[in-house]
Amino acid sequence: MINLTAVVWGTTGALFAFGLAIVVLRRQLLAMLLGLELMLAAVNVSLVHHAGIFNDAEALAVVALVIAVAAAEAVVGLALILRLRRAGSGADAALLTELQG
Amino acid sequence: MAWAALVAGVVAAFFAGVMLLHRSLYVSAVSLLVVLLQTAVLFLLCGSPLLGLLQVMIYAGAVMVLVVVTIMAAGDEGGRFADFSFPKPLAWLGVLAAVGETALILSHAAAPAAVQVDPALQAQLGAVLFKPYALATEAVTLLMFLAALAIAPEPETAA
Repeated sequence: MINLTAVVWGTTGALFAFGLAIVVLRRQLLAMLLGLELMLAAVNVSLVHHAGIFNDAEALAVVALVIAVAAAEAVVGLALILRLRRAGSGADAALLTELQG
Repeated sequence: MAWAALVAGVVAAFFAGVMLLHRSLYVSAVSLLVVLLQTAVLFLLCGSPLLGLLQVMIYAGAVMVLVVVTIMAAGDEGGRFADFSFPKPLAWLGVLAAVGETALILSHAAAPAAVQVDPALQAQLGAVLFKPYALATEAVTLLMFLAALAIAPEPETAA
């Protein structure tokens, strides 16, 4: 018999670990943004499962807010990346070493 | 029903690994799309069909379109951005996972949830969002509005 909680914890851990590895190991800004989205999705899976177990509507509300914030963060991140591309800085995080006022 | 959750979890973890290991950003983005769809299936199996629907609409429907368009707009930076092909074995794996999960869910008839969830929980979600979390909801709404401004084109400046 498969335990759903074990499946959810395994999935959450694997997704979060892969997302963290993507953010740390890959150098393209777009790939790092995708890794962040992966980590947020991982946390949401765990929150939804435990909201059902503990009958907690506040956890579901937090998941809805996280989804909305992640969407806004993706839009801002993508706009920044496109702006960097137009400025000729490229999409490689290693090349972004200076801030300009 | 837990078998469907296990399939969704394994497929999501596998495609997350593909995201990490594949060089093409396009393949990474489409793999993330598969992961997000699998997490939506997990939401459904955990008794939250509304959040699963939101996940599909917002992430898979809107955010991923933006990501793919951005990758295509940045397409002239060397060879690693120029490849827009997706490996056929991975595509077939995604399709097979979707078909398998649908079959597993439909084979257990009525309620797709793998856990016993209070039916009133979904109804309480709206009440919580607009009562104790009203300020946070408004803040997130404002944040999304500001995010929309981020992608607005710059006004032309007179030379």
